[in-house]
Amino acid sequence: MSFIKRSWEPHEAEEWTREDWIAIVLSPLSYIFLTIGLAMSVFLLTLGFVFLILGIIMTVIMFWVIDPKIKTISTEYEKKQKQYLEDLEHIQRWEEPE
Amino acid sequence: MVEFAPLDYFWTVAYLILMIGCGAVFYRLGKRSGADFFLAGRGLPWWIPGTSNFATHTATDTPMWFSGLVYSKGLYGVWYSLFAGWCAISAWVSTRIFRRSLAGTQAEWQTLRFSGLGAELLRGWMAGWQVALSMFVAGWVGIAMGNVCEYLFNWPLWYGLVIFSTLCCAYVIAAGYWGVIIADVQQGITMFIVIILVSVWAAMAVGGPTQIVEALREMGQSEMLNPFRTSGFVDGDYPLLWLITMIIVPFLGGFGMATHFDWFVEAQRIQSAKNVRDASYSIWWGTAAVLFRNAVWALAVLAIFVITRGELSAEQAQLAWFKVGFDYFPVGMVGFFFAAILAIHISSIGSILNLGSMYATRDLYHHYINPKATEKKVVWVGRLMTLVVLVGSFFFGIMIGKDIVEWLFFALWLMVAGTWLPNILQVIWWRFNAWGYLSAWIANLGVCWLVVWILPSFGIIPDFPDYIQFWLLILLVAAVYIPITFLTKPDDMDKLVKVYVQTRPIGFWGPVKREAERRGLLQARDKIVMVAEKQIKEE
Repeated sequence: MSFIKRSWEPHEAEEWTREDWIAIVLSPLSYIFLTIGLAMSVFLLTLGFVFLILGIIMTVIMFWVIDPKIKTISTEYEKKQKQYLEDLEHIQRWEEPE
Repeated sequence: MVEFAPLDYFWTVAYLILMIGCGAVFYRLGKRSGADFFLAGRGLPWWIPGTSNFATHTATDTPMWFSGLVYSKGLYGVWYSLFAGWCAISAWVSTRIFRRSLAGTQAEWQTLRFSGLGAELLRGWMAGWQVALSMFVAGWVGIAMGNVCEYLFNWPLWYGLVIFSTLCCAYVIAAGYWGVIIADVQQGITMFIVIILVSVWAAMAVGGPTQIVEALREMGQSEMLNPFRTSGFVDGDYPLLWLITMIIVPFLGGFGMATHFDWFVEAQRIQSAKNVRDASYSIWWGTAAVLFRNAVWALAVLAIFVITRGELSAEQAQLAWFKVGFDYFPVGMVGFFFAAILAIHISSIGSILNLGSMYATRDLYHHYINPKATEKKVVWVGRLMTLVVLVGSFFFGIMIGKDIVEWLFFALWLMVAGTWLPNILQVIWWRFNAWGYLSAWIANLGVCWLVVWILPSFGIIPDFPDYIQFWLLILLVAAVYIPITFLTKPDDMDKLVKVYVQTRPIGFWGPVKREAERRGLLQARDKIVMVAEKQIKEE
């Protein structure tokens, strides 16, 4: 079994796993490196380009890790969505859910 | 005062026709149902709500406060952009959870997450709060336009406030969220192009980016290019504690919902996305565009810093970015620049008017006043409420006047400081109940005025910097809601199990998860699926 899981069954994807935490850690770092990197790069500062490249690498890794999982969650959830929307309308109208 | 050539008038009028045209084109879609008027039918691909996020968070006041910061602090001011950084974690945590809840508004989420009287009080409270805050924000963005028009045309402040917000209201009333979101896409693209053009023009006026760097060195202002400067832990203009606060608070806030005012705008876009994945992507990329925008803006602001030798007053510096466009764009392009300013302005106003109207209609009117209302009636009340939010915004706009930056920090930062942690706890901790959450909101509203305005004015406490006020508010409000949470009963377990199974929240939900498994809602189902999958594979 590889360190990063790229193929998910719906019931596995529902749990919070290592892949989520990798995305949670990489995502803020990506934002910081991309923002500071771009702000310095527009002045053609070398350090800015280094930060920018690091930010891009982190972003690519983050999406590579999280996308298969979130795609699975998304597909599975759409099947149940209709029933949940009906429940919401019952709450809205102060009725008992069916 | 800026002089317009005929071509400038053409750009401005053409743009306004295009925007109002959105209302006419999408009128039929907007009126189909409440879900269309407020959520565009919940079927949008990620790039539409993502662009809308970017457009909405680029308001008329944004280049003003950002220019003021970068002009005075250089690239260090870019850290303020990370105020939007909560989306980094939210995209993969609270966005996912909230999208699964399908709650149209944050107020509606309260009646899913909590139970009983407390949940209903919270829903009403949050809806009322959000309607008032939408009026405030629309007023504050509107008066920023008033300031720009005063600078450009010598108009009285209220002209810019009233004229353009009213024009925007026309298409929001006609087409609701459909009009808002499609106009936002056009506006987002227009403004991003213009932001890049202004920065290029400004850099060219100095001779290029390298010349800006050289000029700053000659002026003895090299530190303006250093985003990492510090002046001690809590001392000076660049305290480390401020930077730590600026990084920790927004990012960790992404675990929660409503940790920032922006959440309410994003929440609407999350629910308008066609699925969980598109919701997450729209939040991540929409905010990434906001951050890129600020980085590009910094080039224009530091170029004008070099041109003016750093001699602009604080008030003039707030208009630095506008000054670049109007002073350096060629004839004919000035009108295009003004059209982009209108795009910046109208995209925010449109979103906020529709947002405030959604809370007034969906949560106050439809849930509490007329639960049996037909879809047609809901849409009409939505239109009426859009108008009410617009009129309310005029009062707030006139009240704010010229103190835009001061109000911004108070309204968006300190007025929600005490609820920052409760907003996270509602997502990550099953035991945090409706009474704890409600008490946090009420306590914060009182305590923030005391800590920020009243006690310092009487000399009872010092006038702390905003980041220290933030931590102080967190502690003081926690002293109220933590005891109340433990002194009151947990929420109804049936409700908790239901919300857990539907949204699968992160964090400390052990007892609820075990109860869901005991009822066969999780484990049994998963086991059945696993056995079935195993059998299929064997076959």
